[in-house]
Amino acid sequence: MSQSAVDVPAKGGFSYDLCKRNDMLIQKGLKAPSFLKTGTTIVGLIFKDGVILGADTRATEGPIVADKNCEKIHYMAPNIYCCGAGTAADTEAVTDMVSSQLRLHRYQTGRDSRVITALTLLKKHLFSYQGHVSAALVLGGVDITGPHLHTIYPHGSTDTLPFATMGSGSLAAMSVFEAKYKEGLTRDEGIKLVAEAICSGIFNDLGSGSNVDICVITKGNKEYLRNYMEPNPRTYVSSNGYSFTKKTEVLRTKITPLKERVEIIEVTGEAMEE
Amino acid sequence: MGDSQYSFSLTTFSPSGKLVQIEHALTAVGSGQTSLGIKASNGVVIATEKKLPSILVDEASVQKIQHLTPNIGVVYSGMGPDFRVLVRKSRKQAEQYNRLYKEPIPVTQLVRETATVMQEFTQSGGVRPFGVSLLVAGYDDKGPQLYQVDPSGSYFSWKASAMGKNVSNAKTFLEKRYTEDMELDDAIHTAILTLKEGFEGEISSKNIEIGKIGADKIFRVLTPAEIDDYLAEVE
Repeated sequence: MSQSAVDVPAKGGFSYDLCKRNDMLIQKGLKAPSFLKTGTTIVGLIFKDGVILGADTRATEGPIVADKNCEKIHYMAPNIYCCGAGTAADTEAVTDMVSSQLRLHRYQTGRDSRVITALTLLKKHLFSYQGHVSAALVLGGVDITGPHLHTIYPHGSTDTLPFATMGSGSLAAMSVFEAKYKEGLTRDEGIKLVAEAICSGIFNDLGSGSNVDICVITKGNKEYLRNYMEPNPRTYVSSNGYSFTKKTEVLRTKITPLKERVEIIEVTGEAMEE
Repeated sequence: MGDSQYSFSLTTFSPSGKLVQIEHALTAVGSGQTSLGIKASNGVVIATEKKLPSILVDEASVQKIQHLTPNIGVVYSGMGPDFRVLVRKSRKQAEQYNRLYKEPIPVTQLVRETATVMQEFTQSGGVRPFGVSLLVAGYDDKGPQLYQVDPSGSYFSWKASAMGKNVSNAKTFLEKRYTEDMELDDAIHTAILTLKEGFEGEISSKNIEIGKIGADKIFRVLTPAEIDDYLAEVE
């Protein structure tokens, strides 16, 4: 029977096949490659009409800033967005995959996706990889049952909260939320609070920085405010550029060819014998 | 005829070089409800009869025209359950393509992959061919496109086509009425007139379904109210 006629369920979960080999290599002195982490401050809160998600835009690779303006708020469905902290590749791949599954599900059912569906798909995947997929997510959206906000940890546990923060800057952001959050915030109050929380992460945490991205989701509508705030503008030294007045003198020219030029002299004589 | 001895097994050629099961599948299509499609200069329209087995059936729950992607729609003639299976497979293939290449699947690619599935079922053991022919309507970078896919897995691009019970009358009508520079609204009117040609009984928004896609690249199934408007214009 052809393979397409039978749908085999996908095999998931972490494959431990190469662990022995990796251990052996580390013993021999191999340094494992480091990965791009997002450091990060990501937050979400529920306000009167829906959910507001916020994130900073710095991606770090150890002590270096790898991306000064990356996008950490990922699209899951027209009414659901997800902020990701942890390894950038992991958050991208996992949100992309679940977004694709949600779209297929929407076609089959003819209904809008629910936040809890996204939540369950994500947590099942992360759990089956036993925490090796390093993605800490803040998932928020508005569906037929109302606004929802969840946090998902790399090992697969989840929380349902009215306000949440994740990432290295989560403590800085949570302090702002704990002080100023109240139920029934208006849209402008909510955006202001989220921006303040992210800024607190940007200024007080090394792993977070650059700009503030905000996403406002309400019933039937969403606003993705990319770079809502830019508290760290680049200042260039000279807007006209640089000009070098003194020309450099050429003292000596020596050209060394990298490939040797060999001359072939053809001797017209007898042809080689067979 | 010698053929009948070879007609039970799908995977056996008959002496005349035919796969008789596929011929029978086409017969199943030919006895299905009429459906048609017309490619206009700025869009595509597909339409079908929606004759339900009894007045007690809740017609709002039956939808023969389906989305495969936001910009590709499909209608069928033949066996409904086979159609459901094909739609499910095609949607999955479109989504896999999108995930791999981050590009909405081009209409030709989706048609080709669906046709490949249908062909696999003509060359495997223990399965039978699908008893449907599909009309795929889509709008991508190459503009509006209309494809017909048969149970054998062959596909053709059409300017206008019909399938099902009333195919010969419908095709003759379309041949007369089709013009290259037709616009989408004209095409919808022509589609309704073509359906009317062989329609048994009174045509209304409850017993036909129309889907269209325009330059906005969004495939939509018309609501009964919109169909009523078009029907009124045609009268």
